[in-house]
Formats: sequence, structure tokens, C-alpha cells
Amino acid sequence: MQTVAEQPSAIRRYYEGLAEGVFRAIRCQACGKHTFPPTGCCEHCGSWKVEPVELSGEGTLLFATHNIFPACHPRFEKIAPYVYGHIRLKEGPIVQAIVLGVQATPADLGRLFERGPVPVTAEALPMDDLPVLAFRIHD
Amino acid sequence: MANKLRERTVISGVGCSRFGDLLETPELKGLSIQELTAGAVKEALDDAGLTGQDVDAVFAGNAMVHSSQVPGTYSQLSKWTGTQFKAGVHFEAQCSTTNVGAALAAMSVAAGVYDTVLVYGLETTRTMVKGYSPYEREPISHQQTWLWTDMAVNQAYGVPQGYDIFSTYNGLVALGYCRKYGMSIEDFDRGMFELCRTRRLHGSMNRKANIQEKLEDRAAREGFSDAFDYWRSDKHNPFVAWPSRLLSLVTTADGASAMVITRADLAKGGKSQPVELKGFGISYSDLPWYGEDPTFWEFDKRAIDAAFDMAGIRASDIDYLHTHDCSHISGICTAETIGYLEPGKGLAAAREGRLRFDGDRPMSTHGGRHAFGHAWGASAGTDTYEAVLQMRGQAGARQIAKRPEISVIHTHGYAMIGTVVVLGSI
Ligand SMILES: [Zn+2]
Repeated sequence: MQTVAEQPSAIRRYYEGLAEGVFRAIRCQACGKHTFPPTGCCEHCGSWKVEPVELSGEGTLLFATHNIFPACHPRFEKIAPYVYGHIRLKEGPIVQAIVLGVQATPADLGRLFERGPVPVTAEALPMDDLPVLAFRIHD
Repeated sequence: MANKLRERTVISGVGCSRFGDLLETPELKGLSIQELTAGAVKEALDDAGLTGQDVDAVFAGNAMVHSSQVPGTYSQLSKWTGTQFKAGVHFEAQCSTTNVGAALAAMSVAAGVYDTVLVYGLETTRTMVKGYSPYEREPISHQQTWLWTDMAVNQAYGVPQGYDIFSTYNGLVALGYCRKYGMSIEDFDRGMFELCRTRRLHGSMNRKANIQEKLEDRAAREGFSDAFDYWRSDKHNPFVAWPSRLLSLVTTADGASAMVITRADLAKGGKSQPVELKGFGISYSDLPWYGEDPTFWEFDKRAIDAAFDMAGIRASDIDYLHTHDCSHISGICTAETIGYLEPGKGLAAAREGRLRFDGDRPMSTHGGRHAFGHAWGASAGTDTYEAVLQMRGQAGARQIAKRPEISVIHTHGYAMIGTVVVLGSI
């Protein structure tokens, strides 16, 4: 029997990369901007001329809150409540993701808010079935 | 784009059910989804002085098919609404559904294709079909409601990686607001309390609202003499996404709404006073919904500008406003973006009572998503319903003293489709 070749999927590749600590995006050859996480076309200008790139994972945490408990999604029941943040990546994209290195309490989040924007670095948070993007606050 | 309606179109009839729970709320308990919807449709058709056979087309809205289980809604509901043999479609724009339907109806009427269109929306976010029963229902768990609802949110990268509505729509926006305007978390909390108090006051004056109990009355029932102490209690009003609390959020509901859209000249001398649909604007965005500033949402601005341009109005013309308030702080940000409230002063306006039905900046006099309740695809129609009542002077105890001549209704269809509708008195 003939084997059927699997077509490439940007989503599959993103999560496979994440498991290895690689943060895949695309860069537009028309306008030069990034789309992260990756799709097949530029989110800014609609061009299909895009190339795969890897992001540094460096960014700035602008704001941090927490999710609801119990979690809306079964995948996150074990870790809820977790801190969830609004982050500007060094390469430009804004991303929201789980934040590590601070507790999900009003007191801790209040102190972080008073501190203002802080540098963070991306890492893969292993869940039972999927690696998940997270950002760790620098000490 | 031309951004013009070629014919004047009006809303000639409106209807809406009580919002609540098909298993326990008075006026709803025991109803099937067919009867729930038919009730709202009958009210709208009666209001317009028509039957289902007098309309040319039916746009049937329903977002969360998982719980309603009536896809092919146009035909499944046709014998319940008297609309057999009409043109029709089932569509969804999540929580903007019914007002996107109004826009589609206005376009089809203004294009000369149809004279009269019936738009309705139905949703059950508290109950779902039990087993394979044609009439029995059972409660939906909190987690199941959000799993189904969040299917409208980025399923490639957002939801699988920890997104939830509470942090993205509430907590982060709240922090962005406090940072931008130098507001303390304590002041923010007090403002949110007053905003909730206003919405609950409106709900207490509306027999169709999901929650008809004032916040002060609820606090007293729980043994609190000071309602703000109740507000700050972790037991009764926990942080769902610090600094945002549970009572600043949507409450889920089962419900239905309907409206009749027709040519202005055909509505003349009709049964009820028509209201002109002067313009609309629609703009959508995937996550993230905002850039560095969580208080400014580009797609909303685009929808607002398009609607105001089509209607030929400015912010200073607005007499009544509803902004989508699944998240109370997001609703304030939108009202400030629209220009109805001064940037950074929305919560102060709430504390001063200016957003009440008897204030100088009345908003969401039906009670909004928290007190009136939220049945995703049906809710935008209830916002329009309330605006039409206010413009006709039919809002009863919560009537705005000077009848609004220009009303603006903004909704967020999850996730996200910003929809703005401008209504004008004739
Ligand atoms: Zn581009």
C-alpha cells in the first residue's frame, strides 16, 4: 500500500518547536513585520510571501493578572489559578501567556504592578498533553 | 467603500423573552427552546402589526449550537413562528449575532431585495438538551459553558495555551486602565462596585432581567449592613482575575430576542412607532484584542467610526448608550473610546450616578450583561429592544426623562467582532 505523505502544518510545527524551546514565527517579506504564533500569511498586510523565523523569547511583561479557579479548560485544572500576562516581545509582537516566577495572589500581583514593566524570557511549560508557552520573570 | 444605505430602513417591531434559566426562572421554567424563541418572535411581529407570512426573509441567529441543538434554525423554527416558505439562513456572530443580523437585514432591504426581514436570536447558556429528549433539559456546568463558548476563540494557539476570558477581558484591561490613568486599585474597586450597583438597580426595574435584586438588597440578605463590605468579601465576590471581581462580570442566561426590519415608507402608519436604523459598523479581530494599551481596541474604533460615518452622527449627538459589558471595565473603556464618557473618568461617572437611567449619561438601562443576563446570540437584540423602548417612551419606571433621539448600541461578538448600531427617532 502506498503511504500518504503528511502535509506540513504550522500549528504542529509550532508546538513541536516549543517542546524543544524554539519559538517559531513568520516574517513578512512585503512589510517586514512578524506574525506570532505563526500562520501562513502576514497578519499586518495580508501578504502570503512570508518566511519562517525563530524569535529570541525575550520580552517585557507589561501587566499580569491570574486566571479563574477552577480553570475553564481541563488541561489547566492542575495549575489553576495561574498568573497570566500581557507581554511585548523584543521583535515587536504582543502576546498573552502564562507567567512564571510570581504567585497568583492579590498581594504578589499588586507588588508586581507597582514595580511596572519587567523583563521576561520565554520557556516551554510541559503539560500532560502539550507544551505551553510561558514567560519567566527575571529575578 | 461607500458605507451608505441606499434606502432608509427602520426597526418596526421588537420582542424579547425574560432572561434566566429554563429549569427554574419564573416565566421560563418548563419552556422548550422552540417556545422560548416563538414568544420573542410573536412579540416582535405583534409590535410591527405583522404575521410571519408578511415578512420576506428570516435571519435566525444562534451561536452555541452545542446546547441548543437546533442548527437549520430557520426551518426547525418555521412552524413555531409562522414563517414557512420564506427565505432564510442560520448565522452567528456570537454575542453580536442579533445586531449583525439587523445590519444584514438593513443591507438586504436597502438593496431592494426584501421589503421586510425578521431577525431573531436564541441561546441557552445555562441549560442544554438532556439526553435525546425533545423537551427535557439539564444544567450546563461552568466548565462546559466556557469550553463551548471559547470554541469561538483562537483554537490554534490561544485557548490551548491558557487563555481565559477572565484574565484577558477583565484583569489585564483593569490593570491597563489603572496604569494609564494613575488610578489606585482601591479607587478602581470602589468604581466597579458603583457600576455594578447601577446595573443591578436597572435590573431591579426590569421584569425581563435575569437578576432583579439590587446589590444592596443582596448584601443585606447575606447579613451585610454596608454593601461595599459585601462587595469586598472573598466569599461572596472573589477575584476572578485580580483586580477584577466576580460581580463585574456577565451572568449566563437562556433567552431569545427578535426584531422586524423594513423600509421606512412601509412602516408609516404601522402599529408601533418605528425607529430608524441609521447606520452600523462592524470590525473583527483575533487575539490579542489590544496592543500595548489594554484600554484601546482598534477593531472597536473602526466599527465606531464606520457606524458614525454611515449614520452621520458625532459622539455629542448620543442620548443613550449601551456598550458590551460582559466585562464591566471593558464596557467603560468602549464608552470612553466612543467619546460618550471622558477618558479615564468613566468610573468616576459611575460613582456620581451619572450612568443611571436618571443621570446625564444613561447607559445599559435594561441592566446590561450582568443584571439583564447574557444569552450569547440573543443578547444584542435585547440591547436594541431596550433602546427602542427608551426612544418610544415605553421603558416604564426606568424611562430616561428626555426620550433619547439618538441611541448607540455596541456589542462584542466573541472573539471579537465589534458591532456598533446607530438608531434615530423618526
Ligand atoms: Zn506584511
